[in-house]
Amino acid sequence: MSASVAETRWSPVRLAAAGVLGLWAGLFWFLLVTGRSSLYLSSRTRWLVPLGAAILTAAALGRLASARIARPSTPSRRESWTLGAIALPALLLLTLPPITLGTYSVDRRSSFAGSGIGATARAVTGDLDFVDVGAAQSFDAALAQLTARAGEPITLEGIVTEDAGLPADEMTLARYIVTCCVADATVARVRVVGVPPGAFAPDDWVRVQGRVYPVGREVLVAAETVEGIPVPDRPYLTP
Amino acid sequence: MAVETERGPAPPVAGVARSRAWIGVVALLAAVVLAARLLDPQRLPWLRNLVIVFGSLLVEAMPFIALGALVSAAIEVFVPASAFARIGRLPRAMQLPAAAFSGIAFPVCECGSVPVARRLVRKGLAPSAAVTFMLAAPIVNPVVIASTAVAYRGREAFWVMVLGRFGLGLLVAMVVGWVIGARRPEELLRARGDLEAHEVEEAEPRWRRFFGHLTGDIVFMARFLILGALLAAAIQTFVPQSIVDQVADLPILSLVAMMALAFLMSLCSESDAFVAASFVSFGPSSQLAFLVFGPMVDMKLAALYAGTYSRGFLRATVITVGATTLVATMWMQVIWG
Repeated sequence: MSASVAETRWSPVRLAAAGVLGLWAGLFWFLLVTGRSSLYLSSRTRWLVPLGAAILTAAALGRLASARIARPSTPSRRESWTLGAIALPALLLLTLPPITLGTYSVDRRSSFAGSGIGATARAVTGDLDFVDVGAAQSFDAALAQLTARAGEPITLEGIVTEDAGLPADEMTLARYIVTCCVADATVARVRVVGVPPGAFAPDDWVRVQGRVYPVGREVLVAAETVEGIPVPDRPYLTP
Repeated sequence: MAVETERGPAPPVAGVARSRAWIGVVALLAAVVLAARLLDPQRLPWLRNLVIVFGSLLVEAMPFIALGALVSAAIEVFVPASAFARIGRLPRAMQLPAAAFSGIAFPVCECGSVPVARRLVRKGLAPSAAVTFMLAAPIVNPVVIASTAVAYRGREAFWVMVLGRFGLGLLVAMVVGWVIGARRPEELLRARGDLEAHEVEEAEPRWRRFFGHLTGDIVFMARFLILGALLAAAIQTFVPQSIVDQVADLPILSLVAMMALAFLMSLCSESDAFVAASFVSFGPSSQLAFLVFGPMVDMKLAALYAGTYSRGFLRATVITVGATTLVATMWMQVIWG
């Protein structure tokens, strides 16, 4: 046995595969430690990050532990490019600064304006938020509940969207609602009236405190205070 | 099977070419990362959207791929082929329902079921049964049924959607299995390329073989997942979802539009019900078409299938899944709207 161990050498192919899997494992640990998983996943699916980190780490370590063989070979050109292509997305996600969906996506995704937000099917109870708004814009029962609470105070945090047709003292505030990952994001929007003209630009994050008034499927918020805020730790809401 | 040791050291000229390839790969990776930093996705809205959606699809799907590969490697190393021979002795009329219903016990989304089905075929399970399992599992497993129930709770069409998805998912999976019929594994599976070399010698200890298969399956599936996720992210970035609203009231086109949307969006089967439910201008049958077609055929799956299975299989699956879903949901449209 000791003779065969002495004859083994590191296999570059296996080391490369272990390295690529290690890079992916590193990405999942990075997302877990920094909390950046909230940029990609909802709170419902965040458990996938430790799961991915654990399996990929085990795979990388297992491959590393079995990387010494009798007659190793170097990766072929095709293998090298394939492994490079697999490594690239992990490397990109590790090195890019944190980014979130902005106004560009608002008009490209489902919202009450086109179809409604089924993801927010819930009773409108407790403190009002964007998920309640989305529910009211989708379901008659939720709309009736919100309408019954017209004039109640509401605090919303969201992004200012581009809307050229609005008067200078109004803006549309939007927030993405994500069920599993950002690919399934839907949009809830409100029209805010009583905004200081020219104070905010598209893609700015703001907090609006005011009173809510559903008008048909559209939800108006009469602003009492509007202030700029940094991007929240959890930029997407989960229904 | 393994071949790394059989291949032996490369000739000197090939060795130089291989070293150059490695240098090229590392240089390209560095250049792309540098370019991405300099471009700054924050300043380019479309790039920002593309990167986030691409990243989110990968971050969500890669753990499922890894989990599927883990199960696949365990099947290969720890489950004897005789375990599948018993299923193979069942009459085909029973094999397909048995395979479809066994998907209930496998609560992962569609990405995880592909490597498992591939491994089942290689272990001797009839290809038709393995494919039926692969297509049914992402739809009929308890997590997906529960998420569908949550998405449609309080709606009139609740039972139509929950039971319809379950039943139609089983039906379509079995029809595809029936179409695959008695095809042999070599007619179904594509030969793996160079990365097959990552697999190990049968003589190696079991734990080394396990990690060999685990690594091989993850690497094999990951490249197709990345390609599919990139295409899906590009579609989500450049094609607004609202384009399908125009056909919401048209009987057959609404079904086709929702199936096309499911293909393009490439959502996880555990979350797609929430998105389907958001298309309230479409009737239950159109939403059902979205929920049954998507987990069986979408862009990232097409890439995974293309890497795993023969072209004939891919063609047969897309056509059969599409036709069966369309015909079944047309009948439902007549009944429920």
